[in-house]
Amino acid sequence: MLNLSNRRLTQVAKKESWGETHKGIKFMLILYIGFKNLKMGRMRTLLTIGGVSLGIGIITFLLCIGFGVQKMIVTEVTKNNPLDVIDVNNGNLDNFISLNDESIEKIENLDGVKKVERRVNTGGKVMYGESQTDVVVYGANQEYIELARVSYRLTNGNFSNGENKVLISDRLANLLGFSDPMEAVGKTIKYNIALTKEVSSTVTEEKVSNDNETEIVGIVTGDEGVFIYIPFDVARDNFGIDLAQNGKVVVGDMAKFDTVKLQLEQLGFLTESINELIKDIDSFFTTVRAVLVIFGIIIMSISVMGMLNTLSISLLQRTKEIGILKALGTRRFDIFKMFIIESIIISFIGGAIGLLGGYGLSIAVNYLLMYLGKRAGVELFYFVYMPSYFVVAVVGFIFFLGVATGIMPAFRAAKIHALEALRYE
Amino acid sequence: MELKQNEIDILNCPLDYKAVKGSGCVRSNDVVVRVENLKKQFVLGGNTIQILKGINLDIVRGEFVILMGPSGCGKSTLLHIVYGLESPTEGLVYVDSESIWEHTKNWRAYFRNQFIGFIPQQPFWIKSLSVLENVAIPGFVNGRGYRESVERGYRALEVVGMKDWAHYRPFDLSGGQQQKVAFARSLLLNPKFIIADEPTGNLDQKSGVQLMELIKKFNDLFDITVLMVTHNPEQVSFATRVVKMVDGVIQNNTTDAAEMESIKQDA
Repeated sequence: MLNLSNRRLTQVAKKESWGETHKGIKFMLILYIGFKNLKMGRMRTLLTIGGVSLGIGIITFLLCIGFGVQKMIVTEVTKNNPLDVIDVNNGNLDNFISLNDESIEKIENLDGVKKVERRVNTGGKVMYGESQTDVVVYGANQEYIELARVSYRLTNGNFSNGENKVLISDRLANLLGFSDPMEAVGKTIKYNIALTKEVSSTVTEEKVSNDNETEIVGIVTGDEGVFIYIPFDVARDNFGIDLAQNGKVVVGDMAKFDTVKLQLEQLGFLTESINELIKDIDSFFTTVRAVLVIFGIIIMSISVMGMLNTLSISLLQRTKEIGILKALGTRRFDIFKMFIIESIIISFIGGAIGLLGGYGLSIAVNYLLMYLGKRAGVELFYFVYMPSYFVVAVVGFIFFLGVATGIMPAFRAAKIHALEALRYE
Repeated sequence: MELKQNEIDILNCPLDYKAVKGSGCVRSNDVVVRVENLKKQFVLGGNTIQILKGINLDIVRGEFVILMGPSGCGKSTLLHIVYGLESPTEGLVYVDSESIWEHTKNWRAYFRNQFIGFIPQQPFWIKSLSVLENVAIPGFVNGRGYRESVERGYRALEVVGMKDWAHYRPFDLSGGQQQKVAFARSLLLNPKFIIADEPTGNLDQKSGVQLMELIKKFNDLFDITVLMVTHNPEQVSFATRVVKMVDGVIQNNTTDAAEMESIKQDA
C-alpha cells in the first residue's frame, strides 16, 4: 500500500541502497558487445585498424632500424675499447710528461682509479734466418694487452710478464717467411730496439740495443701492422726502458669518470675515452630518432583522424541503440565504457599488427640487404634491434591512442539524452 | 504459497497471485502509480508551451490503462515522465511509494531496468546482437552474466511464442514479430508494470490485435499493470481503465465499461 505519511523517511533510506544495487554491465559483456559491433561494420573496422597498424608499423620499422644501427655502431666502437678505460698519452711537445713510475703512482692515487697499465712503443728490427725487417716494438704487460683487447692466438706457452717471450703480428710472420702465421709460433727470433730519450731516462743519446733472442709464443691477428709485443718488464730489465707513451687508466667508480679524466688532464696528459664518442653517437641518433618520431606523429595523425571518423560515424549510426540502452536502464558510465573499449580494441589490434609487422618488415629488409650484399661481395651485419622499453612505450602509446580517440565520442554517447537518441533520424 | 524475495519470478507465480518486487507473490489491489499535480512545459523558439497542465492520476496494481487523446495532448510526455525518462516541470510521480524524480539519474536508470518493462512504438535493437541477446539486454544492464541473462531471455521468448526466432537477427523479423520480441524483452526482469508507447502504431491490424491479445493475456494471468498510449480506439476493449487527455489535462478517467465504450465511439 502507498503509505504517504512515511514515504519521506522511506525514500531517504532507499535512495542509497537502491543506487548501490545497480551494478552495471559486466566488463566481459562490454568487451563482447564491442567486438560484435566492430564485426558488424567489418570493412570500416578493417580500414581503421589498417590505418593504425600502418602508422605504428612505419614508426616501428624506422625506429627498429635506427636503434639497430646505433647499437651496431656502439658495439663495434666499444668492442676494443672498454667504457671504463681512459686512454692517456704523454702530452704534446709544449707540455711533455712521461708515464714513469712516479707519474703512474700519482695516477693510481687519484680517487676513483682502479688500476693503470702502460705501453712503450719504439722502433726495432727483427731477424729470422736470412730474413730481417724493421718493426714497431711495443712493450706492454699482459694486463695492458687484455685491456686493449688485442686479439692474439696461442698454441702452447703463454705471454707472461716476466718471461722473455713475444707476440708478433701475422703480417710480420708473413714477412719473416711464414705463409701460415701460426707456423711461426715456437720459433726463436732475434731482435733489437732503438733506445731514445723518450723511452729511457738513462739514455743520453739515441742508440740501438744489442740483439736479443726470444721465442714467439703467439700471433696477433686482425691488424695490418708490422710489430712485436715484448713484456714491459723485459723491456725495463733488459734494455733500461722506464718511460711509456701510452697508458690505460681503469676507473673503478663510473660516477667519478669525468673527474678522473679532468684530473689526468690537469696532470698534463692527453686523454681520450670511448665515452665521448658514444655520447656523440647517441646524440646523433637521438636527433635522427626525433626526426623519425616527428615523421611518425604526422603519419599517426592521419590514423587518429581515421579512428575519430570511424567512431563518430559509429556513434551517429548507433544513436538509437544508445537511446534504447539508456531507456532500458544502462548507466551513462557503461555507455561511455562501450565506446571507449571499442576504440581501445581498434587501437590495440592495429597497434599489435603494426608493431609485429614493422619489426618483421625491418628484419626482412635486413636479411634482404645481407643477401644482396653477400652476392655483391660485401659483408653486411644484422642491424635490427627493438629495445624492450620501446615495446612498453608502444603498448602505452596505443592504449593512450585508444583512450584519446575514444574519449570524445564516448563522452558524447554518454551525455546524449535517451529520448533525443530514440527520436534521432 | 510463499516465495523468497530473490526467487520471485513472474513466470512462476500462481495464477491468482502476482509478482511484486520485495514482497514475493502477493494478492492486492493497491495503487502502483500515483501522479500528483504534474506539469510540464517546453520552451520552443522563445515560446513556453505548456504540455501538461496539472495531471492527477492513480493506477491500481493489475490495471490495463489506456491513454488516449489527439496528437500533442501530452499523453506520450506523461508516459515518459512516469517511465523516468522526461523530467516534470512541477509535480510528483510515485511508483510503489517511491518519488522517482527525487532520485539521481543513475537511480532512475536502475528503476527503469528493474521495475518497468518498456515497449516502444518502433522496436529498437542492438543490430550486432541476435534476437535472444537483445531480449537479454535488461539482464546485461542489470549486471547479470551472459548465460543467466540469455537463459531468462530464452524463457521470455518461449512464453511469447518466439523461441524459434531466438538466433535470428532482429531486423530479419516482421514488424509484428519484432514487437512480440520487444514485449519479451520487457518481461525479462519481472517488471512491476509495463509501459507501452503506441506499440501497435506501426503494425497491420492483424499483428496489432495479436500483440494486444498477448499483452492482455499477461495482464490477466500475472496481474501486471499496463500503461499504454494508443491512437487506436479499437484497443479500448482491452483496457480496464481509459484515460482521455485533451490539451494537457485529463478530460475523462473511467473504469466504467459504458463510458469506455462511449469514448471509443467518440474517437
